Amino acid sequence: MRLLEHQGKEILRRYAIETPQGIVARTPEEAREAASKLGPVVVKVQIPTGGRGKAGGIRPAEDPAQAYERASELLGSTIRGFNVQSVLIEEKVALKQELYLGLTIDNRRGVSVLMFCPSGGMDIEEVAASHPELVYKLELPAGARLPEYEARGLLRRAGFQGKTLVQLAGVAVRLYQCFVDYDLVVAEINPLGILADGRVVAADCKMEVDDNSLFRHPELGSEKDELQDPLEREAREIGVTYIKLDGDIGIIASGAGLGMNTMDLILEAGHRPANFLETGGGITRELMRRSVLLVAKHEGVRGLLVNLYGGVNPLVAAAEGVVDGVKALSKNLPVVVKALGNQQEEAHAVLEAAGIPVIKTVRTEDAVAALVRQLEGKSA
Amino acid sequence: MSILLTNETRAIVQGATGRIGQVQVRWMLEYGTRIVAGVTPGQGGATVHGVPVYDNVVEAVEKEGANATVLFVPAPYTKDAVLEAIAAGIRLIVAVPEHVPVHDAMAMRRAAREAGVWLLGPNTPGIISPGIGKLGIMPGNMFRRGRIGIISRSGTLSYEVAGYLNEAGYGESTLIGIGGDPVIGPDIPDILAEFEKDPETEAVVIVGEIGGSAEEEAAPFIARMQKPVVAYIAGRSAPPGRRMGHAGAIIREGQGTVADKTRALSEAGARVAKSIAQVPCLLRDVLKA
Repeated sequence: MRLLEHQGKEILRRYAIETPQGIVARTPEEAREAASKLGPVVVKVQIPTGGRGKAGGIRPAEDPAQAYERASELLGSTIRGFNVQSVLIEEKVALKQELYLGLTIDNRRGVSVLMFCPSGGMDIEEVAASHPELVYKLELPAGARLPEYEARGLLRRAGFQGKTLVQLAGVAVRLYQCFVDYDLVVAEINPLGILADGRVVAADCKMEVDDNSLFRHPELGSEKDELQDPLEREAREIGVTYIKLDGDIGIIASGAGLGMNTMDLILEAGHRPANFLETGGGITRELMRRSVLLVAKHEGVRGLLVNLYGGVNPLVAAAEGVVDGVKALSKNLPVVVKALGNQQEEAHAVLEAAGIPVIKTVRTEDAVAALVRQLEGKSA
Repeated sequence: MSILLTNETRAIVQGATGRIGQVQVRWMLEYGTRIVAGVTPGQGGATVHGVPVYDNVVEAVEKEGANATVLFVPAPYTKDAVLEAIAAGIRLIVAVPEHVPVHDAMAMRRAAREAGVWLLGPNTPGIISPGIGKLGIMPGNMFRRGRIGIISRSGTLSYEVAGYLNEAGYGESTLIGIGGDPVIGPDIPDILAEFEKDPETEAVVIVGEIGGSAEEEAAPFIARMQKPVVAYIAGRSAPPGRRMGHAGAIIREGQGTVADKTRALSEAGARVAKSIAQVPCLLRDVLKA
């Protein structure tokens, strides 16, 4: 779950990392009031994605009246696909120098990586590609502490000295601490600014919390907030992963790999997937019933392919759920099911008794072909 | 022979008394797996399908000689269960749970590697050596004993690949699910090295998927192997930047696409199938050669 800038900055302040003063506003009136306390400000849309500046979501305002105006333009608008519900009214700061400080996880090695770049404000991936020598990295294995002296060593190599060196090292150590404490997968301060008086401030903040760790961080809310598409939100409620696509064949698969492979085979057969739906290992009769109804809600869907394995999932309950779902459909939707594994014979019997075609071999392409025959027979 | 899960394996089930644990204990026993104990803190003295349950792993090791474990504990307790198994001297850990926090997975991986213990997962279907046993959730009826080793990131997809191999008259020596999560215990070359040594395995099939770089980084090892490797990568049609269920299966710009992986693997001498149906054909080619 990506945190909004102001949420991230609140966490930074808890770790004694300084940020410009800011106030969150949800109405133009609140924006005006905030600006009257802060002087010249920047009005920044609070959406969980980057590239806000380029998309016109970050605008300066000299006085409260302008802040009111900017906020009324931005609030309620759509920026990078997100509806703007709040803006951060933030004091304008003059940065003498812009740096980059970030933490992420190297999945392959299973370690955290601290990255520092003396030229900030730009896309770090671009800098890393074009000027890798400008990106200073430190690997931090799970459970490791980052001692101040190591952070100072890194920053010394990057050419810093004096008070700035010590201050920056402190920020790096504290950012790593909050990376660990909050189960972050990304923590980025870009730019990390140096003010004329030498103070270091986090001018922006991007944080992404590991969705699987939210049980440890109930105060951060739930991932639901981030999903814009109503079908994807409903899927979350049901407990499945659903991604809306633009094709004609709906998919329900009991695993991610199987689902992706089913998509590949549908494309090969000259059709396009209408969605990706993966149940994971928690199939129940009700979950399957609701999944069938969910996939059918997509306006473009003309057929449904259900591809299941009974390993951790109970196939008979799954088959009963498919039958329930198909019976409850308001439109006629051709369905083909392939289901193998534990209890496969019983599951096949349940489906066939309800008149649903079953593919009993391992060949998913046979299931796709059977469904395509039905679809093309209909349109002919 | 087979790898990791052999006739010497004496396994316990952590979380044996849970809803999923009980069902899976039954499937594993019916498959012929030697399950010597269950472990659930607070449930010591119970039995599950005739298997004695202990309060902790150490007791199961001392009393039943356990050397392997399969986990069916909730995601929030997975790290603790893995660290407990390592501390008790278990040598093979199969971490089935999905949705384990990634910082926990990092700690698990580090501890396992430092102790020289095999950790499969998290988010793995497990391991099956047909004819010997299975530690995990894969349906036993999808596998036949044979001479092909399979390494897979995805559970369901590996069952599918095994099905095609069986149809073509092959079977499997061992199938290993390394885990579908971004941070997992094994690196692919660790497992390839075991298959390379195993006299029963004639060839290895790698079932990969988009995202990450595990397949690419296995390339240099594959180039040095004697035994042939065939690979299949799922997810050609996945839209970039979207998570396709497995946290691991996400493509960022220019990293971990089917084309990237195909190029790296082919250059290392592996044969890369365009569809699962093609996997047995390529195997036939390389085994003839």
